[in-house]
Amino acid sequence: MKILAFGKIAEIIGQEELQVDNFPNTEILKGYLYQQFPDLQKMKFSIAIDKKLTSGDVSIPMDVEIALLPPFSGG
Amino acid sequence: MEKQRTPKNIFVSGAIAPEKIAQSIANHASKTDIGGHSIFLGQVRADVKEEGTVQAINYTAYEEMALQQAFEIREAIFAKYPLTCMHIYHSLGEVKVGEICLFVFTSSKHRKAAMGACEELVERIKKELPIWGKEIIDNENSAWKINT
Repeated sequence: MKILAFGKIAEIIGQEELQVDNFPNTEILKGYLYQQFPDLQKMKFSIAIDKKLTSGDVSIPMDVEIALLPPFSGG
Repeated sequence: MEKQRTPKNIFVSGAIAPEKIAQSIANHASKTDIGGHSIFLGQVRADVKEEGTVQAINYTAYEEMALQQAFEIREAIFAKYPLTCMHIYHSLGEVKVGEICLFVFTSSKHRKAAMGACEELVERIKKELPIWGKEIIDNENSAWKINT
């Protein structure tokens, strides 16, 4: 599945897009990300599935677009 | 018949020119049921940080999600306030200090709806749209903007 990274997260990961195997839920996805990119543990971010914000641990359907969103700072 | 609204692009590349704002005001001259406009303009501030003074902000966004969110906010504000018009523009890319990065424009028959809607829109835009500002200090230093 495709993961999009924005803002500071894209800097930590070193790219704006990642291709990874499917993860069943957002907790397992986070565990993977924390292991691959330990600096992510120090920051707050939200996860969007198909452009909808999630909260808590939610299951990840197949063929969705995941996005990692640091705290918004528009305006 | 009720006008069908669809998501509009809110993004402008670089700073929002004062001429664009003036033109936008002028475009409402023909809408003679309007009695009040409310305008908010966000301007990039030269904050002083440990590493130096901010020179510009570079904006990025999750554009598709931001446009969808902006559409939902628009619909909610139109449902809540008796507005004639609503316009939202936000910069992407680099905006230098002193330049305009956000333009929110609401119009209504009477002032209170326009003013209330404008304030609520600005708050919701800053809080709910997936947009990020990176404060550029100099070639080596930058910091991700934090909204307060």
